[in-house]
Amino acid sequence: MERTAYMLRLLPLLALGALAVAGCDDAYAPLSGPRADASVLMHQELRQEDRFGLPAIATVFIPTDLKDAYNEAVPAGDAATFRSLVVAKLMAFGQDAASAKALAGALTPDIQPIDVSQPTGFLNGRKLDDDVITAELHLIFGSNAALNDDHVDANDEPFLPTFPYLAGPHVQ
Amino acid sequence: MFRLCAAVLLVLVAAAGITRWIKASDHKDSALLAADHAADIADVYTFRSPVHPDNVVLVMTVSGFIPPSEASTTFFDPTVLYQWKIDNNGDAVEDVVIQAFVTGTGGHQVMHFRGPAPASQIGATSRVIEGPETATVPVSNGATPMIASRSGMTVFTDVRDDPFFFDLVQFKKIIAGEAAAFRNPGIDSFAGTNVLAIAVELPSARLGGPRLGVWGTTSRQQF
Repeated sequence: MERTAYMLRLLPLLALGALAVAGCDDAYAPLSGPRADASVLMHQELRQEDRFGLPAIATVFIPTDLKDAYNEAVPAGDAATFRSLVVAKLMAFGQDAASAKALAGALTPDIQPIDVSQPTGFLNGRKLDDDVITAELHLIFGSNAALNDDHVDANDEPFLPTFPYLAGPHVQ
Repeated sequence: MFRLCAAVLLVLVAAAGITRWIKASDHKDSALLAADHAADIADVYTFRSPVHPDNVVLVMTVSGFIPPSEASTTFFDPTVLYQWKIDNNGDAVEDVVIQAFVTGTGGHQVMHFRGPAPASQIGATSRVIEGPETATVPVSNGATPMIASRSGMTVFTDVRDDPFFFDLVQFKKIIAGEAAAFRNPGIDSFAGTNVLAIAVELPSARLGGPRLGVWGTTSRQQF
């Protein structure tokens, strides 16, 4: 009897909790908050400012005077427009023509490839904890031990095991 | 990866005294980025969900190098459209896109998502996809993530620890000819810094595949 009364007293709380969960889980509709149609972006032509596929590739291989053009370009044009620059740079780093060409072929178009039927790990997708810089330094500098590893192997904060996976912010 | 670029460019700028190349911007500049900070993509990550293997997780980070002192006062720019573009047939052209943008100001921003859906315009010019949103979530503004799910798509956005790690400082010295090798152990130049992050998890089947090509873009209205 006492227990039933206790549960009855809990009911409103449970109902609130269920509502809160439902609110979180589905259709968050900011009826009183900002609405999407209030966005200044609606019905406008928007021009690309930046793009990102493979980490650090544009940085290392695209010269300063072409950087803006690269950021505003589409990947489908990368092979025609930028692949020769990548080959030249790789050869300047000491690679022979054949390996430079093969690697440049893998790096252009500048897109992050992933086969979702396979386990993820750079270059099949990119996990948060993948040491992509060392992987790329190895690709670029081969066995040159002075330059093929930055010796920073992991993030400074542990990642979360569940969504959103990212570590919380550093605050003061 | 703009910030690497920025590092390299800064060296060049310092060396040559060139400043004219830097794009004019009416947004927050930083010494390291010296450009359009809000539209500046730091990184893109694509991985199978470790919890739900049939899901894929897409993460985009922008506005890098946010110090702890500015974590609670750095917000998304409502005039920037953030997009994932996904090629699912190997031609390097986007077949589906996921769009995100915020409305609201300060600590009361809400992020709106559209797609995955065919791009209403393919290429370097974009438009917001017409029709209903696929998800909406408040920008979290705190250590506890506010997460929203609708029809199997889960979304989150806020300032977070920058997941990237790299001895950028030593790399800059190498590029500048001031060092011949990385140090061991290296020092993570991104330790203790934040980024604005957007994360989406959804069934990968909704993107096509299983072979996908993913890239992130930021776009603005041109005046």
